[in-house]
Amino acid sequence: MQVSTKDFQLLIILVTLIFLIAPLFLVIYINLYNSRKKRHIDEKAVMKEDFEAEILQAQMEIREQTMQTIGSDLHDNIGQLLSLTNLTLKSVELNDRDKSQQKIDTAIGLTSRSIQELRSLGKLFQGEQLISKGLSIAINHELEWLNRLEKYQINYNNDVAGNLQLSADKELILFRLFQETLNNIIKHAEATSISVFLDYAADNLTLTIEDNGVGFNTTVVQKASAGMGLQNIHKRANLIGGEATIDSRSGLGTIVQIKVPY
Amino acid sequence: MNAYLSINILVELICFIIACICLSGDKSTTWKSWIVYLLITCTTEITGKILRHAHDTHLNEFIYNIYILFEAGFTTALLSKILCPYTNAKPVIYGGLSLLILLYIIEIVQHGVYVFNNMTTTVMSVLFVLYGLYYYYLLLKDERYIKLKRHAPFWWVTGIVFFYFGSTVSNLIFSIIVVEDNSDTFRYNIYLSLNILLYSFLSYSFLCRYLQRTSSS
Repeated sequence: MQVSTKDFQLLIILVTLIFLIAPLFLVIYINLYNSRKKRHIDEKAVMKEDFEAEILQAQMEIREQTMQTIGSDLHDNIGQLLSLTNLTLKSVELNDRDKSQQKIDTAIGLTSRSIQELRSLGKLFQGEQLISKGLSIAINHELEWLNRLEKYQINYNNDVAGNLQLSADKELILFRLFQETLNNIIKHAEATSISVFLDYAADNLTLTIEDNGVGFNTTVVQKASAGMGLQNIHKRANLIGGEATIDSRSGLGTIVQIKVPY
Repeated sequence: MNAYLSINILVELICFIIACICLSGDKSTTWKSWIVYLLITCTTEITGKILRHAHDTHLNEFIYNIYILFEAGFTTALLSKILCPYTNAKPVIYGGLSLLILLYIIEIVQHGVYVFNNMTTTVMSVLFVLYGLYYYYLLLKDERYIKLKRHAPFWWVTGIVFFYFGSTVSNLIFSIIVVEDNSDTFRYNIYLSLNILLYSFLSYSFLCRYLQRTSSS
């Protein structure tokens, strides 16, 4: 092929320039992509900080609520029981042996109830120690304690093979949600049977708590509740990336299901 | 310029001096070895210039044929070192090097040592461009953020990609098109521009390397 020198030179310059523009754009693109990578890393760091702050806030709220529960239980429940024990023992007349025996028996019964209430309060403090052994063991421990009361027929079905490890913060929040639901059943449900299912499928850990108690209208209760309650169960489940569903009808018991991605 | 110097040689000498200043204290032997390579480059260019002046083209081409071996060896070694943190590049690098050696031997057998190995040079350029693009791909794939402004391997690879990308095109066009007159001067000017580009990037990368070393110590 014979080409004139001028055309040839122009062609070479053009082609070389075009071939140099290609890597130039590539270098510019890599620079832009790298800047985006930095922005993404910064955003991730901010999100992580926010998440940690929210977890901390939730933990503080849980602690505050625990303290309130302890305070009100000590004042309204254990305090009353001990006052009643005090009054009963004061009213013992040693001359009347039969009546005295009856009152001492009543006082013994009240003291036993106080001890039981104190033990149940003590459980609230144990959460963090229990969860260090794993969620499944902590739930089992809690249910064993409830079983000793002989008030409920307990059914625990654990389908999780081995010991799955969520982050410690997430596990604690999930366990507190479980405790919260269990306390609600004890206080309000008037149930005779409690069933707990722990299941792991499709990268989701599902905790289901069922009771055969009186149930309630979820819409009415959700609107009425303030602070801790059903709304907080939803909020905390969302905080650990999961979701909570509460299914209840008057007279038909309640099903609380918390699903957390693993 | 006189018989021993040209703009091209001057640019290479400047880059060699910068390499001496910036890389003499470098912990990496591969980076440091580029001082030796640039010395070989300058020596080859000066010798080539003298031989050209004496109209001894055969010896000139023989010298550049030897230089190809150094060029392939030193560039491959540093590319391997740069790719190493991202992937196991040894199979690709050794594969490429084996191909170059094979081509080199074939060309020597075909036309002897006194004719420049064009095919080897063209394939080598293509290989280096591919390695460079592979490095860019690994860099994009990597999740870590790197300050590219002061990242020596990035600028070194950029210099290599620009130079070999441009020279491959010129090599190919010059090999298929026949020009009657003053093509040598024009060809020289194209290579000179590409060389200035290459040695600017290389010098900057050596400077980045130096700054990285001094700021971390």
